[in-house]
Amino acid sequence: MTSLVDRYVYTALRRVPEAQRADIDRELRASIEDAVDARVEAGEAREAAVEATLTELGDPDKLADSYANRSGYLIGPELYTSWRRLTVMLLSTVLPVVVAVLVVVQVVDGKSFGTIVGTAVSTTLTVGVHMVFWTTLIYAIVERTGAVKDKLRVKWSVKDLPKYEPDRMPIARLAGGLVWPALLIAALILQQFTLSGVPVLDPANWSFWWPYFIVVLVLQGAYQVWLWRLGTWNRTVTVVNAVLQLASAVPLVWLLATDQFFNPEFHNFAGLGAESDVKHWLSLLIIGITVVGTAYDIFEVARRGERVRRGEPIKITGTGGSYNYGG
Amino acid sequence: MTLDATLSGHLQELRRGTVVVASLTVLREPGYGYSLLETLSGAGFEVEANTLYPLLRRLEAQGLLTSEWNTDEARPRKFYRTTEQGDAIASSLRSEWTRLDKAINDLDPTTGSM
Repeated sequence: MTSLVDRYVYTALRRVPEAQRADIDRELRASIEDAVDARVEAGEAREAAVEATLTELGDPDKLADSYANRSGYLIGPELYTSWRRLTVMLLSTVLPVVVAVLVVVQVVDGKSFGTIVGTAVSTTLTVGVHMVFWTTLIYAIVERTGAVKDKLRVKWSVKDLPKYEPDRMPIARLAGGLVWPALLIAALILQQFTLSGVPVLDPANWSFWWPYFIVVLVLQGAYQVWLWRLGTWNRTVTVVNAVLQLASAVPLVWLLATDQFFNPEFHNFAGLGAESDVKHWLSLLIIGITVVGTAYDIFEVARRGERVRRGEPIKITGTGGSYNYGG
Repeated sequence: MTLDATLSGHLQELRRGTVVVASLTVLREPGYGYSLLETLSGAGFEVEANTLYPLLRRLEAQGLLTSEWNTDEARPRKFYRTTEQGDAIASSLRSEWTRLDKAINDLDPTTGSM
């Protein structure tokens, strides 16, 4: 039977680089025996002395990490910030784009509503898990090998500070404001002109309402550019914003409420329950989101405009502090 | 966190690094792992075997210590000795320690006047 000391030393050596093993083996044994001898001399029984010595040395895996100069963490503080930024960016920006593209592809393919929702949910989960896993794996490897560590480390300078005034709105955020209307227009057109399947929305509205929505969406995009160049909030902005918001919200709610929104020929709500029920609840849901969203947006822009006019500071979300947009 | 846990956390921070200075200073006379552990704990350094043994190898890899196996006795032991470079570093670290000690005393009005 192997002794406790043997078992301890073997366990520690397993995780030590091969080149150092023989040397650490000898040294560790000598050190353990020295400590045991000292305890025996002090009057302890040998067996108890061995146990006490090994307990004091602690977890052999940890000792091995210490010998091999390995860190007891996956991603250290040096790389953590960079890892977090990349992960957040992937999950908040890349993942939605991937899911959106897949959904559009499925719509074009004429898949049923249930299938599309299923794909969206499962893609979000699978792709999200993959993104986090592979990023973490790469960072963990970099942490251990030290390769390209310098490049991944976040180098910060005052230039990286975000700008909060709307006129300094980074071009990326403006692009974000333009992508939404563009996506809606694309979706509106694509759902009609898919090669197979029946359009989701009522084709009868192409005589007026769908082109009308396209025009309003284009105007909303133009509004974003205008606001970006104007660089402040005022009463004109409030009015223009309110008009544009109502111009899309009111007809949308009306179409939904009078059952003119969905295509009567579209029967692919399958899998979620009785068709009329699904249509009904979906309509209510869209109406709810539209009303609340529109009201909040109009109110928020009006409040900003009013505050700037009075020279009051505008709260920056998440800081608790204030900032004067007008000043 | 209790006050005791807070204190022991800060003490650990403060003591980190002192073992290096102490080891490099003691090992100007050759010594092996267990003997150094005894000397250090006798001198009032709270150091654990599982920190000290790997540390000695790291200092050796940095060229601050050299080692030699002594097989004259029944139990072969690895003896470490501070190199010239190690001695120079230890003396820099010691003067930093003295400087910090003085600086902290100067900050504390109850001892600063001495």
